[in-house]
Amino acid sequence: MTDGMRIVALKFQLNGKPVEMECEAEETLAEVLRNHLNLNGTKVSCEVQVCGACTVLVDGLPVSSCTYLAYEARGKNVATIEGLEKPDGTLHPLQQAFIDDFAFQCGFCTPGMIMAAKALLDENPQPTRAEIIHHMDGNICRCTGYVPIVAAVQRAAGVMAKESKK
Amino acid sequence: MMPLRRFQMHQPKNVAEAAEMLAHYGEKGRLYAGGTELLLAMKHDLLRYEHLVDVKTVPGLDKIEAKNSSLHIGGTVTHRAIENSPLVRERLPVMAEMARQIANVRVRATGTLGGNICFAEPHSDPATLLLALGAKARVQGRNGERTLAMNEILVGAYETALAADEILTAIEIPLLAKSQRAAYLKFQVHERPTLSLALVLDVDASGNAITKARAVVGSVSLTPCRSDKADALLVGPRDKVEKQLADAAQVLAEAADPGDDLEGSAEYKRHLTGVFLRRAFAQALSGAPR
Amino acid sequence: MSAEKKTDFHVVNHSIPRRDGRVKVTGKAPYVADLKLIGMAYAKVLRSPYAHAKIVSIDTLRAASRPGVYCVITGNDLEGLNPYYGHAVKDHPLLAIGKVRYAGEPVAAVVAIDERTAFEALEFIDVKYEELKAVFTPEEALAKDAPLLHEKQFEAGALRGFEGEVTAGKGTNICQQHRIQWGDVEEAFKKAAAIVEGEYYFPMAYAYAMEPYVAIADVTDQGVTVYSSAQHPFMVRHDLKSIFNLPVSKVRLIVPFVGGGYGSKSYTKIEPLVAACSWKAKRPVKLQLTVEEAMLTTRSDDAYTWMRTAVDAKGKIIARQAKIYMNTGAYAENSPLVVEKSTNRCVGPYAIPNVLIENCSLYTNTVPASSYRGFGCAQVTLPGESQIDELAAKIGKDPYEFRLANVAKPGEEFFPKMRPFDGTLKEDLETAAKAIGWKNPLPKGHGRSIACSGSDAGAYPLTSTAVRVHADGSVTIMTGSTELGQGSHTVLPQIAAEELGVPFDNVNVVSSDTAITPYDRSTGASRTTTLMGSAVLEASREAIQQMVVMAADVLKVKVEEIQVVRGGVRCGEAQLNWSEVITKFYALPDGEVIGRSYIRKSGKFSQLPVFWEAACTGVEVSVDQETGKITMEKLVTVGDVGLAINPALAEGQDIGAATMGMGIGLFEELVYEGSQLVNGSILDYRLPRFSDLPKEVELHLVQNQDGVGPYGAKGGGEASLNSMAANIANAVDRAVGVRIRQAPLTPERVWRALKEKELQNSKVQKFKE
Repeated sequence: MTDGMRIVALKFQLNGKPVEMECEAEETLAEVLRNHLNLNGTKVSCEVQVCGACTVLVDGLPVSSCTYLAYEARGKNVATIEGLEKPDGTLHPLQQAFIDDFAFQCGFCTPGMIMAAKALLDENPQPTRAEIIHHMDGNICRCTGYVPIVAAVQRAAGVMAKESKK
Repeated sequence: MMPLRRFQMHQPKNVAEAAEMLAHYGEKGRLYAGGTELLLAMKHDLLRYEHLVDVKTVPGLDKIEAKNSSLHIGGTVTHRAIENSPLVRERLPVMAEMARQIANVRVRATGTLGGNICFAEPHSDPATLLLALGAKARVQGRNGERTLAMNEILVGAYETALAADEILTAIEIPLLAKSQRAAYLKFQVHERPTLSLALVLDVDASGNAITKARAVVGSVSLTPCRSDKADALLVGPRDKVEKQLADAAQVLAEAADPGDDLEGSAEYKRHLTGVFLRRAFAQALSGAPR
Repeated sequence: MSAEKKTDFHVVNHSIPRRDGRVKVTGKAPYVADLKLIGMAYAKVLRSPYAHAKIVSIDTLRAASRPGVYCVITGNDLEGLNPYYGHAVKDHPLLAIGKVRYAGEPVAAVVAIDERTAFEALEFIDVKYEELKAVFTPEEALAKDAPLLHEKQFEAGALRGFEGEVTAGKGTNICQQHRIQWGDVEEAFKKAAAIVEGEYYFPMAYAYAMEPYVAIADVTDQGVTVYSSAQHPFMVRHDLKSIFNLPVSKVRLIVPFVGGGYGSKSYTKIEPLVAACSWKAKRPVKLQLTVEEAMLTTRSDDAYTWMRTAVDAKGKIIARQAKIYMNTGAYAENSPLVVEKSTNRCVGPYAIPNVLIENCSLYTNTVPASSYRGFGCAQVTLPGESQIDELAAKIGKDPYEFRLANVAKPGEEFFPKMRPFDGTLKEDLETAAKAIGWKNPLPKGHGRSIACSGSDAGAYPLTSTAVRVHADGSVTIMTGSTELGQGSHTVLPQIAAEELGVPFDNVNVVSSDTAITPYDRSTGASRTTTLMGSAVLEASREAIQQMVVMAADVLKVKVEEIQVVRGGVRCGEAQLNWSEVITKFYALPDGEVIGRSYIRKSGKFSQLPVFWEAACTGVEVSVDQETGKITMEKLVTVGDVGLAINPALAEGQDIGAATMGMGIGLFEELVYEGSQLVNGSILDYRLPRFSDLPKEVELHLVQNQDGVGPYGAKGGGEASLNSMAANIANAVDRAVGVRIRQAPLTPERVWRALKEKELQNSKVQKFKE
């Protein structure tokens, strides 16, 4: 029987750029992003896959990076909050909408919230209010009461629809 | 952060190799698929393994296929893939609808059907529906393959009939006949269902009588529960069955024998069994998703 | 009343986007968890499995000798420190010493090269316990044969925040007692036209700040430096100075952005433990709790309340009496203040001539309770506002009209010795009634309720600040107020920009570094806009005064000849902006002016509370009578804020608070079974989610500029929480005719109440037959 891996050779795309590194088998994607790659935008809170603060996208799908092994990112595309802003400083429509609608207070849930919303809009560019609530139900915000977040996702969807028509 | 203890990851090339690995590591090893339940339990130090065997490296376990009159869902198919599969949506919409209601979007993206069944969490959404649908699990170990009905594989809370070296390769679900109607409903207060109820009914050509029924109540006992006696009360002319729903629910609840826990008292869960059996009955016959 | 009613605002009273917007939506905002110091080690904590036990022995050798472990620290290693802390009562050891008082109490910590190594070493610490009898409820704690949690007398903390005696540590399990009384309650109840009486329970709640407690400590011969997620860095500094016996100047607390507080990060939490780890390990140490550990660190006090309220024949409330037992857990923390506040807040915002409230909090072998948004108000507003509806129903009055007839009026001295009421509850109630559609017909199974709360703000006036005007006309505010998400980094610059006449974007904020920013007592009790806002306003004006003198010097005229205009000065034809004044004064394009202000309990802040925090909420609920599940159809908030410096932020505070209140009304509750907290994880502790969002939400502000804060502003952000549980209970009663006196109103509790009602009805029916 071959030995298992203690060390994982990890190659993946991170926000559109290749990463090659080693990590330990038990390291989560959140640990690798925060501790090894110095990307601290991804926050860790409940650690039971309920709150969504640690949401990042892997091949476009939202995952709880606190409980998702970095090992799983092999060969995949990982998107984090740090990748949304354009190099010229333009914010993603969701980021701008979160500012415009006061859709955060303490900001700790915000990166995960925005990434979860991005996964939704990438798949369903014009979601209904019910679809937004269903998709976002696994992301908790303790500050805003969710009202402005729904508004921000709707606003961003509108902005993105206009942009895509251009 | 809550760190995971150190372990080794293994990548079997095929089912036979995975079975060998599991046999070799015994209690120190565990099959690893989506990890949504397993890694949580490991993080909380409820389970400890030195070796994880990544079943996702085995090719061919992530397919959804229609074969004859059944749907074959591979062990590593994610809930999300089931939710979005055109095949499942068309041929067994109740399964897709159930998958859409599991936990949250992140859990659905990584959690697998095989993992869900093998972890045998008592509040599993799929287990309840699959038992009602008469699904079977195909399992493979060093000594070959066998097929287990859902009530055979799920033997307790976090406990299955799988031998240490066995791997769930697929779930086979009989497709519903034209005469069959199905419904899956759940009542949820916390993160997992307080009660789930799945119902499959065979109706006659007139649509006014039920010729066969299979009701399952889940999340209230260690494993999803059904009762021949309850099912018998659900057979007959529709208006007669409607009058017997309360009795059927009582029999079903007695069979499940719920306990008191954080989700609610046994008495409340017995009551909810009645409420949701009635709602499921109405929904199944309303022509809404099968 | 505010002397100054200004209306032509340039910056203030506008919903300017948040100053911390861009850093927060890009993931660049630093929180303590994101920080690393050179040479930093990581700690993990071993916690007691027992609720009450003697520690017989601790053997750390096996753990300490593991590879990667720097040291293990226990209660036996604290010689040289003053290990007991507490701003109200010094009852809390930084690690258990000799015994443990609740399951989950820190017993030892491992400091290691990384978190995983520290965690893996924990199980190699061998602790022998001798279990002691434990108590979990006030009733058990009061029993004659109850074991004593704290055997010794306590030193009172210096900063308890109230003027009464501390009653802890007197040979019983009583942590704090408080009593208010006026009029003649017995006589009033005798004369009453109608009385309602009942027992109520408000649960233990967990604030769930999404960022769990985290701190990094670096203890060297230079002093103690701690980066922490603390709301009140100056309070923590006080405790650390006493633990390490250092001058204030050698203790430095730095707080970057905080991921939510809601009271749960007020006062000292893990900082003494982390500092002790650094002290022993001789290197910087970081400790980040998990949420599950945070749930074993603080909660709200749960409260058992007996209350009765009386009304005369004219429908005027004439008396209220209550006895409250609060469960404060193993350590006092801020509960003595919570006790005082919940006692006062039983009166509600009503003018009641006869009042007797007695309150007693008990030490029990449970997680220590402390501040929680609303400071004891929600605990007693559940009984208080329930009884207003119960009483209205009893005398056949519309509860809304009944409230209108009884609420305290503007300027009314309804609470002896306290500041006259500074809100307009009539207008608040009318606004809420209109928004919720009070008189509109309702579908079957639906019910509405409007409730209010008015609390004597716990904001103690001790605040200072510096506003630095730079030579280019830009401004830096130095503030000890912490940005928790409430928006202080936006509101404070708005005030400075308004006063100094400079663009908002040119005003920067440096906050919460005790070595740099002037003293502010705390960031809580809705104080920041009122107190720090006033300080910023006054410091800005003081800077202007200095710059007027400088301008006179520059222009070689008398000070009296200088006229202040927006953004600068004028003297005859000559006009200079602040940048020109400063540059010309120093004859260099650099330099600055520092405006200062010191606020204390004097002048307009001499009478407490500095403001009454008032708000109304309105709800419409529907009840699934088969399952007992409540659906929120509509939610209305009305914040009586005097003046909203930033209306969008003020409304955001209200909806956030109301949602937390809704959580407690519907499902939030920490559950103990025996000695163990059994739902101590976010898997089992149910929080409000997107799908709980009321179908309709309306947010309103009432702005009469009647507060003592800047331009008539008052605090907000707690009050909308306080009335929610009562509101939901009242609405459920109006929807389906059952009165539930316990929060949360879980589906099962509602179902049971409905079942009980059905049983009663059928008994009555049988009797009639």
